[in-house]
Amino acid sequence: MNALDLLFLLSGATLLCALLFGRTRWAAPLLLLGYAAQFVALLQTNALFGEPISLSWSLVVLDQPMHWRYDALSWFFALITLGAGFLSTGYGSGVWMRDYERAGHSAGVLHTALAANVFSMVLLVGAEDFLSLFLGWELLNWATFFLMALRGGIAARAALRYLGYAFTGGMAILGAMALLYAQAGSLEFQPIRESLPQMSDGQLWVLLALLGSGFGIKMGLLPFHLWQAPAYAETPGPGSAFFSAVSARMGLYAMLVFFVGMVGLARLVQMEIPYTFLNGRDLLAWIAVFTIIFPTYTALQQQDARYLLAWHGIGQGGYMVLGVLVGTAEGSAGGLLHIFNHAITQVALLMAVFAVLYRTGTTDLNRLGGLVARMPLTFLTLLFGIISLAGLPPMAGFVSKLLVYRALLFEGMPLLFVGAIIGTLGTILSVYKLIHNIFLGQLRLEHESVQEAPLSMLIPMLSLSLLIFLAGYFPGPTLSWVAAVQAQLGLPVVNYHLGGVYDAHGGFNMIWIVSVLLAGFGIGALVFFGLGGPSKRVHQLDNYAGGHFLYAENRYQYSDHFYAGLMHLIGPWYRGSFQWLERALGSIVDFLAHFTNGFYGIAQPLLWSLAAVLGIAVWVF
Amino acid sequence: MHWTHLLLELILMPLMAFFIGMGMVLTLRKIGAKLQRRIGPPFFQPLYDILKLHAKETQSSHGLIHEIGIVMAIGGYVAAETLLPVPGMNGIAQQGGLITLAYMTMIPSLGLALGVGQCANPNGSIGISRALTAMLAYDVPFILVVFGTAYAAQSTNLVEIIAAQQSDGIASWGLVQNPLLALAGLLALQGMLGKQPFEIYVAPAEIATGPMVEMGGKFLGGLFIMQCFQLYTAGVLYTSLFLGGGENWLTFLVKIFAVVSIPMAIAYLFPRFRTEDLVRFFWKWPTFLALLGLAFVLH
Amino acid sequence: MGIRDIPVRQAPSPHKSTNPLGRVFDEFLRFCQSRSLFILHYCTGCGAIELPPAMTSRFDMERLGIQPMVSPRQADILLVTGYVSVKTLKRVILTYEQMPAPKYVIGICSCTVNGGMYWQSYATAKKLNDYLPVDLYIAGCMPRPEAVIAGMRDLRRNIERGTANAWRDYFLRYDHYLGNQQRLFGETWQTPVDVIAEAKHYNLLGKETQGEHTARLARHQKPLEALTLNLELREQPTLLK
Repeated sequence: MNALDLLFLLSGATLLCALLFGRTRWAAPLLLLGYAAQFVALLQTNALFGEPISLSWSLVVLDQPMHWRYDALSWFFALITLGAGFLSTGYGSGVWMRDYERAGHSAGVLHTALAANVFSMVLLVGAEDFLSLFLGWELLNWATFFLMALRGGIAARAALRYLGYAFTGGMAILGAMALLYAQAGSLEFQPIRESLPQMSDGQLWVLLALLGSGFGIKMGLLPFHLWQAPAYAETPGPGSAFFSAVSARMGLYAMLVFFVGMVGLARLVQMEIPYTFLNGRDLLAWIAVFTIIFPTYTALQQQDARYLLAWHGIGQGGYMVLGVLVGTAEGSAGGLLHIFNHAITQVALLMAVFAVLYRTGTTDLNRLGGLVARMPLTFLTLLFGIISLAGLPPMAGFVSKLLVYRALLFEGMPLLFVGAIIGTLGTILSVYKLIHNIFLGQLRLEHESVQEAPLSMLIPMLSLSLLIFLAGYFPGPTLSWVAAVQAQLGLPVVNYHLGGVYDAHGGFNMIWIVSVLLAGFGIGALVFFGLGGPSKRVHQLDNYAGGHFLYAENRYQYSDHFYAGLMHLIGPWYRGSFQWLERALGSIVDFLAHFTNGFYGIAQPLLWSLAAVLGIAVWVF
Repeated sequence: MHWTHLLLELILMPLMAFFIGMGMVLTLRKIGAKLQRRIGPPFFQPLYDILKLHAKETQSSHGLIHEIGIVMAIGGYVAAETLLPVPGMNGIAQQGGLITLAYMTMIPSLGLALGVGQCANPNGSIGISRALTAMLAYDVPFILVVFGTAYAAQSTNLVEIIAAQQSDGIASWGLVQNPLLALAGLLALQGMLGKQPFEIYVAPAEIATGPMVEMGGKFLGGLFIMQCFQLYTAGVLYTSLFLGGGENWLTFLVKIFAVVSIPMAIAYLFPRFRTEDLVRFFWKWPTFLALLGLAFVLH
Repeated sequence: MGIRDIPVRQAPSPHKSTNPLGRVFDEFLRFCQSRSLFILHYCTGCGAIELPPAMTSRFDMERLGIQPMVSPRQADILLVTGYVSVKTLKRVILTYEQMPAPKYVIGICSCTVNGGMYWQSYATAKKLNDYLPVDLYIAGCMPRPEAVIAGMRDLRRNIERGTANAWRDYFLRYDHYLGNQQRLFGETWQTPVDVIAEAKHYNLLGKETQGEHTARLARHQKPLEALTLNLELREQPTLLK
C-alpha cells in the first residue's frame, strides 16, 4: 500500500467517521485528526517535487479502466482542499457548532457533508482518465448540493438552482466525453493527449464549448456565474468558507488538466475565430476578464457581507484563468499562485464575516458599524483579508496579481490589463465598503455589549491572517509549488527566489518591499506619536455635525448606497441585464440539452450504455 | 553596493521628498495666490502649519484605528519614496518596479480611508466614497499610461525607463516619443492630485472637507505631511515617465516643480465636477487619448 | 463691571506644554503657532461680510498665515462674527469645545461685546465672555477688514508672547462658564464633549474646574466614555438564529 492508497483510505475513513460519529461530542477532534492524517499522507506521497504516484488498485468499467494518479497539480489542489477542510472544521468545531445544534440543526449532517466534499475532491484531483474524472465530478456535485441545501429556505432554493446548472454541466462534459471517445477510442488521458493534435479545429471548438461550459459552470465563469453567490453565501459558516476556498476551483482544475495540460495553449492560439482578430486563447481570456469585472461590480452593489464576498470569489476566479492563459512563466505562475492566495484570503474573510454574524446575528451591511471596538481581532483578520483580496502590498494577493499584471504587460495585452485593473479597483471600492460598514463608523446601541468572537473561531482566523501576511512577505515557498505545477503542465517555469521572481524585464523582491513598508510604518509612527502631543479618546458622539448635537438614538453613519455617485453612472447598465442573461442562458441550456439528446440517440448508442454504467458506478462506489 | 550606502539612501530619499514636497505645497499656494492677485503665504508657511498642528495641546482621537490610519498614510509614502529613483540615488527601485510603486501609493489612501472610517462621521465616509470613486476614474487612463510607457521601454524598472529616456537628449523623452500618453497622464495627474475640477471629495462647503472633517492637531498634521509626499510622488513619477527623469538635481527640481505647477495653474479655470461627471470625463477623454497613444506604442 | 473687564483676564501660564517638543522649543513652537492660524468663522451675524475682503486679494490674510477652515477640529480661532442668539450660542459652545487647544476666540462686532443693538432682545446673549473665554474683541458695527487684520496681529503678538491663554481659563474655571451657560439654557444643558475628563487628561484641572454647577451637570449627564478596544474573550450567547 503506497501513500496515495493511504490518502484515499483515510479520506474515506474520515467520511465514514463523520457519518457514524458526527453527532457525538468528540466528532470534531476526530475529524480534525482525520484531515490532519490525510494531510500527512498527502505530504508522504511526495507528488509535488518527486515522481507522480499512482493508486495501487484500479477499476474496469466496460473495458474502460479507471485509475487515479497524483502529480504536482493534484497535490497542489489537494493541499488547498485539505487545508480548507481542516480549518473550516476547526472553525466550526467549538461553540459555533454548539449553538448551531441548539438552533435545531444537525452537526452530524454538516460534518458529513463537509467530509463528503473533501473526499470527492481528493478523488477528483487524482483522476487519470475521463471516467474517473466524471465520477469525481458527479460525486462532488452531489456533495456540494448536500452541503448547500442544509439550511433549507433560501439556501435550498439556491442549491436547487445550482443542481440545475450542475446537471447541465455534467451533460456537456458527457457530450465531450462521447466526442473524445469516438476520436481517441479511449477515455484515458494519455491516448486522448496523443489523439488531440490530429483533431480538426472544428472538433476542438466543440470540445472547447462543451468542456469549457461544463467546467466553467463549476468555476462560475461568465456567463454561468449566476448560481454561485447565493448558493455559497447561504451555506452555514464553515461550509461557506470551505466552498469559497476551493469548491469552485475544481472547475479550474479540470480546465487546467484539459486545456493547458492536454490541448496546450499553443493549439488554442492557433484556433482562429474567422472574421475576428480573436483566437481560442483570446476568447477564453476575454471571458476571464469579464468574469473579473462583472461579478466584482455586482459585489459592489451587495448589501449583505456574505453575498459581497461570494461575488468577489467569482470575480477572483477570473484572475486565475487569465494568468494561466497568458501562458508566460510569470503569468501562469501568477494565475496558479492566486488559487492558493485567494483560498487563504477568502477563507479568512468569510470566517471573519461569519464571526460577526455569530455575535450580532446579522451580516446586513446597513445594520452594523463600529464593531472594531468590540471585535478588534476579527477586524484584524478582515483587514488582512481585504488588503489581500484587493491585491495591495504587503499581503499575499498582491504577489499573485502583480505576476499576472506583469505578464499581461510584457505580452502586450493592454485591454486585458486594463480589464484586470478595473476589476482590482472595483474590489478596492467594494472591500472598503465591507470593512467600513461592519467595523468602522458608529457603533450601534444594540451592539454596545457585543464581545470578541470565541477562541475556537479566532484561532483559525488569526492563523490564516498570519499565513496571508507571510505568503506576501516570503512568496518563495508557494512559488516553488507553483513552479512544480508549471513543469507538470508543460508551461514555462517561473524563475523564483525566496522574495519573488527574477525576470529579464526587472523582477521584484517582496522581502525588500515589505520590509521597507514596515520600516515606513515605523517612521510614520515615530513622526505621529513622537512629534505630536498626546491625544485623548473621545466619545463617538463628540463629532462634527455642523454644530448639531448628536444623540445615541440618531444614527450618524453613512452606509446605504455607499457609492452613490458611481452608481448614478453605472447602475443603469446593470438594471435588468442579469435577469435577461439568466433567462437567455436557460433557453440556451434547454436548446443544448435537446441537441445533445438527439446527438446521443442518433450517433452513439454505445454512449447511452456508458452513461448508464457510469451512473451505476457512481451509485456502487 | 555597500549596505551603509543603501541605508543612507533609504533615509535620505523620504527625507528629501518631504522637504521638496513642502516646497511644492508652498509653490502651489503661491501660484493660487498669484492667480487671485494676492501675496500668498510666507516661505516657511508649510513648516509652520505642520509644526503647529503637531504641537496642539489637546488632540481628540476616535480610537486606535484613527491613529493607525495616519501612521499608515505617512508610512506608506515614506516606503513609496524609496521606490522612486532620483538623480544619484536608486534606493530599492530595482526591487519593485512601476506597478509595485503604483500599488504602494494606494497604501496611504487605504490608511487614510480606515482612519476616516473610524471617526464615525458620515461627512468623512462620503468623502472617502467619492475619493475612491475618483480613484477608479483616473486610474483607468493612468494605468493605460503606465502600461504604454512600460511596454515602450520593455521594462517595469523605473531606472531603466529613465536611462532609456536620457540616452538621446530631449528627442528620447517620453513626452516626445509618446505625446498622447503624456497628455493623458497629465489629465490623470489633475485627478490624482485632487485639483479642481476634480475635488468633489473635499467639497468644503458641502461635506466639510470630507475625509479631513474629524482630523485635527497631529492627525491633520499627518495629512499635511502626506500631502507633501503625494505632490512629490506625482511630480517625480510623471517626470520619470515622460520628462527623462533628472540628469542632475537642478534639472530634476525644475522638472518636478513644473509638473506639479501645471494642475494648479489651470485649476481655477473650472467649476467642480459631480462624481458621476468626473467618472464619465475620465473614462472618456483621457482614456481615449491613452488608448490612441497606446495604439502607437504597440504599433 | 468696568471697561477693564472687557479684555479678558489673562491667566499666567503655570502649565508645561504637553507636547514633547514644546517643552524644549517652546518659543519656536509659539512662533509657529502665531504664524499659522486657521480660522473657523462662525458666521452668526452681519460681521461675516467683512471677512471675505479680509481674506481675498484686497487684504489677503494668507500672507499672515491665516486661512479659513471648515470643521472645528481643524481650526485654531473661533471667530464669532456678530450677535449670538441663545440657540446659536449652544452651537457656538459645542463648536468651541470641539476645537483642539490652544484655541482662541475672537468676538467681532459690538454685539459680541455687549449685545450691541440687540441689547434689549430677550433671545440674545449679551456678553460672549460670560460663556466662552474670549481672547480678543474687535468692536465696531461692523469693523472694517483693516480692523479685523489689526486684531489678528494683536492676537498673533499675544500668542508669540505666550499670553493668549484664555483657553486654559475655560478648563481651569469651567464651573464658572458652565454656571453661566446653565443660567441661560437650563439645568439639563450638556454638550457631547467631556470637558472635565479632558481637563483631567491634560492636567489642566484647577480649583474652580469643578464646583456646584458641574455637580449639577453630573447628576443628569449621559456618560461620555470613549469606546475602548475590547480584547476580553468572554462567553456570550450568540444572536445567531
